[in-house]
Amino acid sequence: MRNLLRFFVRFSSWILFLIYVVASCWLLFTKNPYQHHVYLTSAGTLGKAVYGAANTVTSYFYLREINEDLQLRNATLEVEILKLKDQIAQYKLQEYSDTMRIDTALSRYSFALAHVINNSINRPNNYITIDKGSLDGIEPEMGVVDQNGVVGIVNVVGSHSARIISLLNPYLRISCKIKGQDVVGSLVWDGKNPSEAVLEELPRHAEFNLGDTVITSGYSTVFPEGVPVGIVVEHIAEHEENFRTLRVRLNTDFSTLSTVRVVIDDMRKELETVEDDSKTTPKNNMPNQ
Amino acid sequence: MTRTALSFIFLSIALILAQVTVFNHVSLFGVAVPFIFIYMICSLPMTLNQNWVLTIGFLLGLTIDIFSDTQGLNSLGCTVISGIRHNVLRLYFPREEDMTNPRPSIRVLGLGVYIRYEFTLSLVYSAVVFIADSFTFFDPLRLLLGIVSSTLLTTALLIALDYLITKSEKRL
Repeated sequence: MRNLLRFFVRFSSWILFLIYVVASCWLLFTKNPYQHHVYLTSAGTLGKAVYGAANTVTSYFYLREINEDLQLRNATLEVEILKLKDQIAQYKLQEYSDTMRIDTALSRYSFALAHVINNSINRPNNYITIDKGSLDGIEPEMGVVDQNGVVGIVNVVGSHSARIISLLNPYLRISCKIKGQDVVGSLVWDGKNPSEAVLEELPRHAEFNLGDTVITSGYSTVFPEGVPVGIVVEHIAEHEENFRTLRVRLNTDFSTLSTVRVVIDDMRKELETVEDDSKTTPKNNMPNQ
Repeated sequence: MTRTALSFIFLSIALILAQVTVFNHVSLFGVAVPFIFIYMICSLPMTLNQNWVLTIGFLLGLTIDIFSDTQGLNSLGCTVISGIRHNVLRLYFPREEDMTNPRPSIRVLGLGVYIRYEFTLSLVYSAVVFIADSFTFFDPLRLLLGIVSSTLLTTALLIALDYLITKSEKRL
């Protein structure tokens, strides 16, 4: 017994070293970002305080570029409004209005504005921290967009801050399609360039041209259909014969990210219950054996 | 003693803040990240109990991890360099009893020895961090480039930092 104690005292620093290395490795290899705890991420109270303070200074740096993006977006929206006004005028002429009904899907989404207080683009797994949390109605697995396109998905939520898995993180796969077509692929980052990602698992029969716009598919409750993601720039030679792989230049400039919108889907709970029911019903109908 | 401990705590807080708000976002040539906070581990007094050195190192790394969303990455690197730093110093400066001050610095060790000491620890640290991080995407050229450039950048900044701190201590 005494020898054992002496052994522990003598090698205490080695034992401590091993304990710390094992603890670090355990943290390191719990790679799935959904298993991270809020206190060990930048969405914790301390992280929010420090990054919030730093952001009050740095948020001014990119105002010019953001302003230009907003002007552009504004211009395209104005053109769209003019087009829509024309359409409405035509419909009125056709006396279509009395048969038209309000589409419930249009009022399905609302947005929460948030400021980016921390962001990385050059690591293998990138995360973004924003200054809104559960008290502002943010929940895990909500989509995040900015004025140009998709940004990421909410992952860990604190009361006043939240961590987002950036699109520049291989753990994020977003269901996307090429505008004007119904075939769906999955968009994932390949770790090489923060302005490009890869659209995989696109069926072989999908037709595309370089320069086509890639948009979200709307097949989940995370993003509405049709949020712009990027532009097809290259067809990569595929390993599998049944699928195509395309390189996509992302619309979102992750290096100047500042204000983002969190997509709140009012139908999410409803859809989740419906999808759960469809899973459980067949079991209930099974004959007793 | 209390004074040393207090100045150590203040310097740690300052370096952690500088690291997470400024230096984490510096990425020279897209790969080189300076790790300035390891200065705290390098400059702990050599007379300090090894268990304390390891604990301070691990907690320092963990703090950086929490801020930069890199679970366990920096704490692993910090634990490793805390473990080897005494042996590294003995390698370049065998007469440990000749140290006028137990805290390693340019003044105590001389520039040549100090550069070698800081370079070795930076190299080990960058190697651990970049290798552990590269399990996600393995790209040998980028890995090597990252380790070499981060080591050089970190060493240069650590030397500059030591000059600054020694100078301000003289003035007091």
